[in-house]
Amino acid sequence: MSGQKITIEYNDRVVRQFLLATVIWGAVGMLVGVLIAAQLNFWQLNFATPWLTFGRLRPFHTNAVIFAFVGNMMFAGIYYSTQRLVKARLASDFLSSLHFWGWQFIIVCAAVTLPLGFTRGKEYAELIWPINLMVVLIWVVFAVNFFWTLARRREPALYVAIWFYIATIVTVAMLYIVNHLSIPTSLLHSYPVFSGVQDALVQWWYGHNAVAFFLTTPILGIMYYFLPKAAERPVYSYRLSVVHFWSLVFIYIWAGPHHLLNTALPGWLQNLGMTFSLMLWAPSWGGMLNGLLTLRGAWHKLRTDPVLKFYAAAVTFYGMATFEGPLLSIKSVNALAHYTDWIIGHVHAGTLGWNGFMAAGLIYWLLPRLWNKPLYSTALANLHFWIGTVGILLYVAAMWTSGITQGLMLNATTEHGTVLAYPNFLDTLNTIRPMMLMRVIGGGLYLAGWFLLVYNFYRTVKGAAPVNGTIEVYDEEPAPDGKLSLAGTFFSAPTLFWFLAVGFGSMWMFGADLVSTTGIVGAVACLIAAFALVPSRSKAWGGWYEKLLLNALPFTLLVFFAVVAGGLIQIIPTVLVQKAKNVEDRIQTPYTPLELAGRDIYVREGCYLCHSQMIRTLVPDILRYGDYSRLGESIYDHPFQWGSKRTGPDLARVGVKYPNIWHLRHMEDPRSISPGSNMPTYPWLLSHRLDASVLPAKIKVQRLLGVPYGPLTAQQIFDSVDEQAKGIAKDLRASGGYVESDQEIVALIAYLQTLGKALPVITKSAAH
Amino acid sequence: MTPPPNPPPTDENEPLRPHSFDGIQEYDKRLPNWWLMTLFGSVVFWAGYWFYYERAHLGHTNAQIVEQQLAVIEAARLANAPTVDDASLWKMSRNPVFVDAGRATFETTCVSCHTKELTGAIGPNLVDQLWIHGGRPTEIYTTVTAGVLAKGMPPWGPVLGPKKISESVAYILSYHQEGEPIEVQAAWVPPPPK
Repeated sequence: MSGQKITIEYNDRVVRQFLLATVIWGAVGMLVGVLIAAQLNFWQLNFATPWLTFGRLRPFHTNAVIFAFVGNMMFAGIYYSTQRLVKARLASDFLSSLHFWGWQFIIVCAAVTLPLGFTRGKEYAELIWPINLMVVLIWVVFAVNFFWTLARRREPALYVAIWFYIATIVTVAMLYIVNHLSIPTSLLHSYPVFSGVQDALVQWWYGHNAVAFFLTTPILGIMYYFLPKAAERPVYSYRLSVVHFWSLVFIYIWAGPHHLLNTALPGWLQNLGMTFSLMLWAPSWGGMLNGLLTLRGAWHKLRTDPVLKFYAAAVTFYGMATFEGPLLSIKSVNALAHYTDWIIGHVHAGTLGWNGFMAAGLIYWLLPRLWNKPLYSTALANLHFWIGTVGILLYVAAMWTSGITQGLMLNATTEHGTVLAYPNFLDTLNTIRPMMLMRVIGGGLYLAGWFLLVYNFYRTVKGAAPVNGTIEVYDEEPAPDGKLSLAGTFFSAPTLFWFLAVGFGSMWMFGADLVSTTGIVGAVACLIAAFALVPSRSKAWGGWYEKLLLNALPFTLLVFFAVVAGGLIQIIPTVLVQKAKNVEDRIQTPYTPLELAGRDIYVREGCYLCHSQMIRTLVPDILRYGDYSRLGESIYDHPFQWGSKRTGPDLARVGVKYPNIWHLRHMEDPRSISPGSNMPTYPWLLSHRLDASVLPAKIKVQRLLGVPYGPLTAQQIFDSVDEQAKGIAKDLRASGGYVESDQEIVALIAYLQTLGKALPVITKSAAH
Repeated sequence: MTPPPNPPPTDENEPLRPHSFDGIQEYDKRLPNWWLMTLFGSVVFWAGYWFYYERAHLGHTNAQIVEQQLAVIEAARLANAPTVDDASLWKMSRNPVFVDAGRATFETTCVSCHTKELTGAIGPNLVDQLWIHGGRPTEIYTTVTAGVLAKGMPPWGPVLGPKKISESVAYILSYHQEGEPIEVQAAWVPPPPK
């Protein structure tokens, strides 16, 4: 043994910092969650205050629990485990600190801007562009710190947890950057470069994979380190790790369009989204199996150890949610469940059960180790587990019941299927009210459990001295053998088979006659060859893979190729197609300046969080809301506002359905028009003046993005706003509504009245 | 504390991988067959589904399917279209079953604009003898069914269907007498809000 023995001290300071932030932001994010759930039951809890209204707090809640709570937890778990798995201190104390403080600064910025209504209007991508830049910067800091640490590792091989961390870092960067491409119109506002169907596709490619690569893969990595540690049992199966890791990262990326089933999204994308979601079931359950079966021989410890209780329950919830996901992706199931509480319940089974319980297990396990003091109270931790579990079960059961009930009612027809059984949307809303209340109780119990953790955390840490882990290692370079060149990485049988299979498969899927035939022959030949070679070559391939695990860069490159394929194939054709041709039979006329201003108010107030603008190709949707939505009707919408939830009715064709005065009274006091509604009141729209001065810059950006606006001067824009607003104000006055023409409500009414007014396209062939 | 009921299984027949990471060891157990079959089965399903819809075009598109369903609904509507005439609507308006059913529909659907007392707010008064779009029973029926888009009255035909609309019209007529004068009103001027 060469070299001398040295002692390394891990950077556990940054782990403690991230852990503390997890606890605090977790409490904040969940508290806001309970508040907005209560707002759905009691509209008075919106307090008629802009920054306390549901539409602004809901993005606060989602961003807080995803990026602040799970984000900080992920960084704590990754930094703690990576140092130990690679036997090296984090490469840079400066970068570690910058990562921590930068991330907290981002969270604070988000917590201020979102309630103030600064938003991009896309779910989980609401943060405005200056904050987006900071997120990218800090993510790069994280990546540099992480890969630099890998480069300095004394443990040559990469453990499965590290694979998942690599996939997380690479893929989140890719998703985040593409979905946040925007052109600023001012310091606080921007328009996304994509619009309509493109924006929808990119958004759900991102949104679905934020779940995959922010809420799943890093947590699976954390599971692979902390669960066997806590159970003191070996991981169940290495080869299951290999197979489920690669299938998971490759397949997940394709499944995004399942958020857009039965919409105007082209059919081939819907079919890809559905079938890839079904293929995702087994890879997801691979992770669950490896977690649960690692507990073999340790189940008796669950009786006393709260950490293992949390892990076992978390992995079980992961398995349940990843079974439910493919189920919900089946088009016919989705027709019932989409836009209802069932989807929200599904998400919370994952976040409360999987993320929240993994976080709790991680914290209870780390506390004694990072502060060198036993946990203050195991009994309280056990109580947390039971309160939390009951909370989740109440929440999820309430949401299943609520979602299925409302879905069935909304889809029910009568009189030979010719009319809706419940034509009034509010009938369906008020039927599920008890379930909405039970949801608050379930969420409240879960939050109460979390407060027990906060207290336990405080009592454990109080007066305790933080301690950093150390390890004794031989100061020597890793053995140079085992290097895999790029050629050795790519020109190896497993990689080649994989590339060929994906290539041939794509040729079959998308090619014309000869290309398609070649594709199917090639793909089948690949399959046969691979299966035929397995018996004789599996040892060699296994050896190659173990060699790959010694090489971080080639491994990372392969991960990148695995995750990039699905996005490229889905997004590029949709982006390349010329907008004006991709419209089906309707095309939007650009909004007037006043309507555009109204639309930005619609986005600012988060209307899209409760109202969709997408009538699906389903009979009940058409009976209730009118003819199904066409691609062309939102083709110039930056951002798209198709929505993902109908707490209120769809608005795609609400234009001119009601008189202007209806909207005025409705925004002022929804219940004066719709008794039993749970919509917040928006009194400030009737007293805030519209800021028209930003419109020239906004329209300039819209033109740049390809929206066919004429060359308008600033004065023309202001004149147009003035004229249209005065017309609406005059009409309102005639019906007894007295508002100044420069109030925000006038712009919003102008926008709402234009929804669904896209012009039919007169095709040239029709003229022949 | 009682001893654990399930002692940890002995591991002699389960080879561990040679390497350990920070003390974590790994077995290398076979992949469960049912798991592999689920994976392969879903891949086969994908191939078949893609072939059926996207290569052979044997299935219909979403739009084609829904257009067919709508045609069926339209046929059912035509086949079951009730005969609506003034006499029968008047008769319904004197029948408590129809009127009560109409009131239920009216109070969930119409009161937001016409108020519970039918005296009008956003939409016109329905109990006076002034009518903008005609006051004969069949004219009221047509107004409710087709709507008056320019004035913000939605077409309720597709949403409520002929039965509920007849009942609602009967409910409105229950405030009127057959043969009472019908005066033409040019436009509705709403009363100032309370």
